[in-house]
Amino acid sequence: MSTSTPLVCGFARLTSCSGCQLALLNMTADLVPLAARLEVVGFAMASSAADAGGALDVVVIEGSVSSPAHLSTLLALRRRADRLVAVGACALSGGVNALATGDRDALVASVYGEPEAVDESFPPQPLSRFVHVDLEIPGCPPEGAELVALLGALARGGLPAGVDYPVCMECRQRENLCLLIERNIPCLGPVTRAGCQARCPSFGVACEGCRGMVAEANRGEEFRLLLETGLNEREIRARLGRFGEEGP
Amino acid sequence: MTVLQLTPLTRVEGHGRVDLILEAGKLTDVRLALEESPRLFEALLVGRHCSEVPALVCRICAICSAVHRVAAAMALESAMGIVIPPLARGIRELLLLGGHIESHALHLFCLILPDLTGHASLLDLARAGHPLAAAGLELKAFGNRIQALAGGRPIHPVNVEVGGVLCTPDPDALSALAAESRARQAGLETLLGIFCRVENYPGHAMAIGTRLAVASPDPLPLWGEELVLSDGRRVAAAACRELLAERVVTYSHAKQSGSREQPLLTGALAREERAGEGKMAGFGIHGNNVAQVHELGRALARVAALAEELAGALPGEVTLADWQATAGIGTALCEAPRGLLLHHYVVDDFGRIARADIVTPTAINQAALEAQLLADLQGVSDESELLERAGRIVRAYDPCISCAVHVLKVV
Repeated sequence: MSTSTPLVCGFARLTSCSGCQLALLNMTADLVPLAARLEVVGFAMASSAADAGGALDVVVIEGSVSSPAHLSTLLALRRRADRLVAVGACALSGGVNALATGDRDALVASVYGEPEAVDESFPPQPLSRFVHVDLEIPGCPPEGAELVALLGALARGGLPAGVDYPVCMECRQRENLCLLIERNIPCLGPVTRAGCQARCPSFGVACEGCRGMVAEANRGEEFRLLLETGLNEREIRARLGRFGEEGP
Repeated sequence: MTVLQLTPLTRVEGHGRVDLILEAGKLTDVRLALEESPRLFEALLVGRHCSEVPALVCRICAICSAVHRVAAAMALESAMGIVIPPLARGIRELLLLGGHIESHALHLFCLILPDLTGHASLLDLARAGHPLAAAGLELKAFGNRIQALAGGRPIHPVNVEVGGVLCTPDPDALSALAAESRARQAGLETLLGIFCRVENYPGHAMAIGTRLAVASPDPLPLWGEELVLSDGRRVAAAACRELLAERVVTYSHAKQSGSREQPLLTGALAREERAGEGKMAGFGIHGNNVAQVHELGRALARVAALAEELAGALPGEVTLADWQATAGIGTALCEAPRGLLLHHYVVDDFGRIARADIVTPTAINQAALEAQLLADLQGVSDESELLERAGRIVRAYDPCISCAVHVLKVV
């Protein structure tokens, strides 16, 4: 990819809250310097310009796949795009909506009265279940700075650096008091993928694990530490499972 | 009969479509279809402990995450008879004010301004060096910084839990915020004047719908115990679900409140009319933009006073009530940036959710929006003009389609 031609980017959203796109829109001021290197096609939330349907250097996709229509959209975008980036908890694991488990028809009926009233849908699935995903940006929501770094790296023909250590690393670098050990607050920092600069623990609030589990997380030890904070097993499993990860 | 489709709806939050039904070139019917896939929030909460609810429901919507989180906590506190410390109440108020500023600035500058200047997006405006683009984004960023300070982060804030809030923001940062908010009030008129000129909007009928707003003595109501309607009725929180009784409409996703014949209107326009503000008259539904301008002024003034007050909190002052889960039923009424938000929960003996119901402003406004499209577009026959103006009418409501929790089939 030449650095003189702009990076042709598409932004798509499947089943989600729009938070990943909003995180990017929140960075618009930082994106202005990048604007000359980006050609944005198909960003319905921000622009009324139509998507002509050509080849894309990169497509950034937010949300899970939960309907046949989404699946068609996803496959079409995969065919068009050189690189496909899954952004946010929903695209990576299904997100909090994956907590709606059990008989789908019964769940739909409990919200809408009758299941026939609603278009065909299925439990939220991560993108990687259907297509090859080139890059993952985790978080619920992801950090705006990560999205800017992603586009900046791609526009220069590179890739953003990956993160394979837990939130605790960044938390210690910021010299925070340890919420889990020193204040007995049920924090998921030890098992959660970093990259957020330990945003919540730095504010004084326990990490809820929104970026998903770090590789080789010590789940057993985390479970034991959480028991010591006074949570029961059921509560711990619910907490560890909020963003689509299973407990130990 | 021909059906003219405006799809996808652009510069709105969420997936939607408008069908304009024409008979012999004349507009005879409209349908707004909200095309979000079901996310089943009300079902996934059932059986989970009530303390998990605020963190889960804020994921309904990114733009409205703060108010969803607060409404859920308030409804559960009401269900279990929990009284939160006054400091927690103040921090929650600051969070919601930040949400209003961010959401209104996003709506006015990112979604509406390109219509007024004839651009496709704010990014195009920024590229063209339009002075309002950068200044508008700065105001939006200020709203985000307020939410980050009061809530821990701007999207899906983490500070609010059942019983109050977890942390008190840094007093120095609060004082700086108060000073900045005061300074920002001064430049507001130049920044927002473009939204208050009637010649910037297309022709229109009167804004349709019985107005409803949360009853509150505050100039900018954020929550309350009852609703006030423009026909004089007052409805207590517990009876509001009946008032807003939602029904399934076969062509759209969101359940609707009200009907084409008796539509309801909620949002900045309804709130400002209730507060006695008259500057929106003559703008039709586009007066909602004007009302948001006025609310931005009120919100900045309130942030300045409130942040100063919160900066004086005593070190170690309690922000979280001690509570134990008990069975109960609770309903909370909040004003989201785009209108009334209702959360209702039934908690069982084990502190788990037995039933959840959430009614969002976009679902409430849907019937009025359709009626307004029909009224405003009467006599327009040019197809591209119909589509362009339909888009602008929809945008005026500041709809939040992700929020419309009840998603129904488009036939």
